[in-house]
Amino acid sequence: MNRDYAKYALRRVLQAVVVVLLAYVFTFVVISVLPGDPVTNTLRNPQNGFTEEEITRIVAYYGLDRPVPEQLWASLSRFAVGDFGVSLRSGLPVTRLIGDVLGSTVVLALSALAVALVLAFAVGFAVRHQPRRLGFLRSFPSLFLSVPNFVIGLVLINVFAFRLGLFRVIDAEGGLATFFAAIALGIPVSAQVAEVLIANLDHEAGQEYAAVATSRGLGRTRLFLRHLLKPASLPVVTVVALTVGELLGGALITEQIFGRTGVGSLVQRSVTTQDLPVLQAVVTLAAVVFVVVNLAADLVYPLLDPRVRLGGAKPRAGVAAP
Amino acid sequence: MKTSRAPRMIACLAAVAALAACGPGAGANAGDGSGTPRQGGDVTFLIDSLGDTWIPNNSAISSFQGHIWGHVTDKLVYVDENGEVSPWIAENWEQNPAATEFTLRLRKGVTFSDGTPLDAAAVLANLDIWAKGDPARGINPIGLFPKTYDHAEVVDAATVRVFFTAPTLGFIPTLGYHGSILISPKTIALPAQQQADLANDIGSGPFVVASWKEGDSVVLRKRPDYDWAPAALGHRGPARLDTITYKLVAEPSVRTAAVQSGQADVAYNPSPQELASFKEQGFTTATPRYLGFVNGYAVNTKVAPFDDLKVRQALQHGIDRQEIISTVYTDGWLPAQSLFQSNVPGATDRSADFAHDPGRANRLLDEAGWAKGADGVRAKNGQQLKLTLYANPYLATSKAVDELVAQQLGELGFKVDIQAFDVVTYGERVKVGSPSVAAYEVTRSFIDAGTVAGVLTDANKGENWFGLGQGDPKLVELAAGVARAQSVEARAPLLDELQGYVLRQGYFVPLTQIVQRVYLQSPKLHGVTYNGIAYANYYTAWLG
Repeated sequence: MNRDYAKYALRRVLQAVVVVLLAYVFTFVVISVLPGDPVTNTLRNPQNGFTEEEITRIVAYYGLDRPVPEQLWASLSRFAVGDFGVSLRSGLPVTRLIGDVLGSTVVLALSALAVALVLAFAVGFAVRHQPRRLGFLRSFPSLFLSVPNFVIGLVLINVFAFRLGLFRVIDAEGGLATFFAAIALGIPVSAQVAEVLIANLDHEAGQEYAAVATSRGLGRTRLFLRHLLKPASLPVVTVVALTVGELLGGALITEQIFGRTGVGSLVQRSVTTQDLPVLQAVVTLAAVVFVVVNLAADLVYPLLDPRVRLGGAKPRAGVAAP
Repeated sequence: MKTSRAPRMIACLAAVAALAACGPGAGANAGDGSGTPRQGGDVTFLIDSLGDTWIPNNSAISSFQGHIWGHVTDKLVYVDENGEVSPWIAENWEQNPAATEFTLRLRKGVTFSDGTPLDAAAVLANLDIWAKGDPARGINPIGLFPKTYDHAEVVDAATVRVFFTAPTLGFIPTLGYHGSILISPKTIALPAQQQADLANDIGSGPFVVASWKEGDSVVLRKRPDYDWAPAALGHRGPARLDTITYKLVAEPSVRTAAVQSGQADVAYNPSPQELASFKEQGFTTATPRYLGFVNGYAVNTKVAPFDDLKVRQALQHGIDRQEIISTVYTDGWLPAQSLFQSNVPGATDRSADFAHDPGRANRLLDEAGWAKGADGVRAKNGQQLKLTLYANPYLATSKAVDELVAQQLGELGFKVDIQAFDVVTYGERVKVGSPSVAAYEVTRSFIDAGTVAGVLTDANKGENWFGLGQGDPKLVELAAGVARAQSVEARAPLLDELQGYVLRQGYFVPLTQIVQRVYLQSPKLHGVTYNGIAYANYYTAWLG
């Protein structure tokens, strides 16, 4: 067991716990300082015709009349034992709500990531392989970076669902519907990845080793696959790790446009109704995902570039730089 | 950044969607009740929200969940779109002369879908939970259930006697209100967390919940042994359709384009301005009115200058209701004739009491001492004639209406400011009777016009809409007369007088009759009925 690695791993795990805890408390404080609460807001709908007395009694049931620090302490005590509580909006356990939608978002996010990577590497390959004929593709990343994914989504729905009838909007979780949602979500991400990839491919192609390889008669495809791809992919890992946020944020809009039910739409409903227990749980989950993905990125670095190692006498694969 | 640009971009793309989608769904025949009913078929209803909780008491009157409850549950009486009350689970009823005691006789052989009988004990459990809720378990009461409810008793398996602390003529009609859904006593006994799971909520209606996914969809399947529909619907036995799927699609252009392209059968709440174009394309549109108050302003007489009768009357006569309809709505909307929707039994045509008459409005303001300044704004003792309107966030068209009203009143010399808040801020800041709220925009459904007695003054914990307390003896007398009335016949002239008085005093300033539920429907769907709360009922419907 490498002691450096153990210390490093422990430090990272503790950091992660602190980040998650802060995210939990921060969400609580932010939502608590906003006026109103989901229960009162619903009861105050003039259609309901409740008296103030009735509203006070119902709010008391949810403990929303207690001082904020007291509510935070109660919430933290539950969280410490893994109890995320009950949604104030729906009355259902928070773990059930998240469990119901998590799978859909994971499928969408991973599919979008796959779409993004395939598109980015295809564009990267194309502009290196056919610089004259396909050089115009270099402008695509900046173009798609500036197009919001809801616009791409609406156009895809109009063309492929309504005009060509390839998928039905009411079957939003179906294979083709998921595929097109993944394209809508993946294109802006692929643009970011492609921008970094193309810049790095250009950089690597200008290195001496590439010129030597070409002078030895290596074809463009082999040069790309054997020599340029690996070093140019290193910064891509960082970009991909950072796009996790983009994928989660974009999922909110994509899910709404495509009528999918996922973490994004759950967050949207919870934000508009100030459903604190759900928001705390989702933010905590997002913090965990972020920490884990960034840790994973750190672990992948040394696999791609042996120069990135922890300073030690016996460097080994899987030991990442902090 | 992305979300702030969204509405404009979506509006542009909605137009593209409409063009792109004129496809197989747009047939020529209208979706009325014509033709021979067919058995079977699946209907998809695209809805903009599935609301919040599914705890029956906490969600029954929701504009969204109400659609599902209307198919999964039955009510004791049926109230049609004209407010006519007819038997359903209650076969007949009678009241004592004082209207404080009612006896309901129930139809025999009715069962909930879990097999338990819908008998007197079940009805008693429902009456209690509607009236009182169970705050200790997080179950709300039904806000508009008569507050005079005392208790109910089981006389025999098919008879219930209900007691009130004061005359309550509205009791029987209220049994047809959307809050009064009959739920299995087993469900009522469950903890709130379990009631929040729609799969546990058992009714006796023509459909049962086949599956549901929170915030996504609800699939209803017909109950083959259903045989107790209200006679008023003109159909017996099980429903004709096999399933109804309520699917949440938040984006309005996607909802309507899906119906246009034949991918769905009904889109809920399309924009009123688009309805004419859909009709031209051969689609059916429906704008049923619920029974209740019209959309209008409850004026707070405690706030100057609205403590002055002439200023209130100027407000009343300064608004051009016809212009609101032609500008904001379409011909599916009607101008207000009173403070009640004109389909409410007991509503009378009092249009003359608040007719648009700018000359009269100007004269009234002159007489009240408000003189027009060089900038066109009236002032008195150095104070400008100001009014703040708070757009109602529960009504999508409210802000557009307020803007038009501001323009109309501006011509009279009012300086009108419009505040538009989200639901949360609105709930916090805009309250009936608040000193900062001179005009509170009302949208509220009810089944019986007797409801009015509970809102006009503060008698019997009334809502005191006009800030009068019990300071206007004439209003107190009329409201009490309506509340105490022991028969509909005795109440009718009082109600008429009350409407005239409230309007002439400028306490309530009507705008238009309200349509809160708008439907765009495939021409293949026939036989849809709308009840007194304007919910579409697909029990009678079929696909042609």
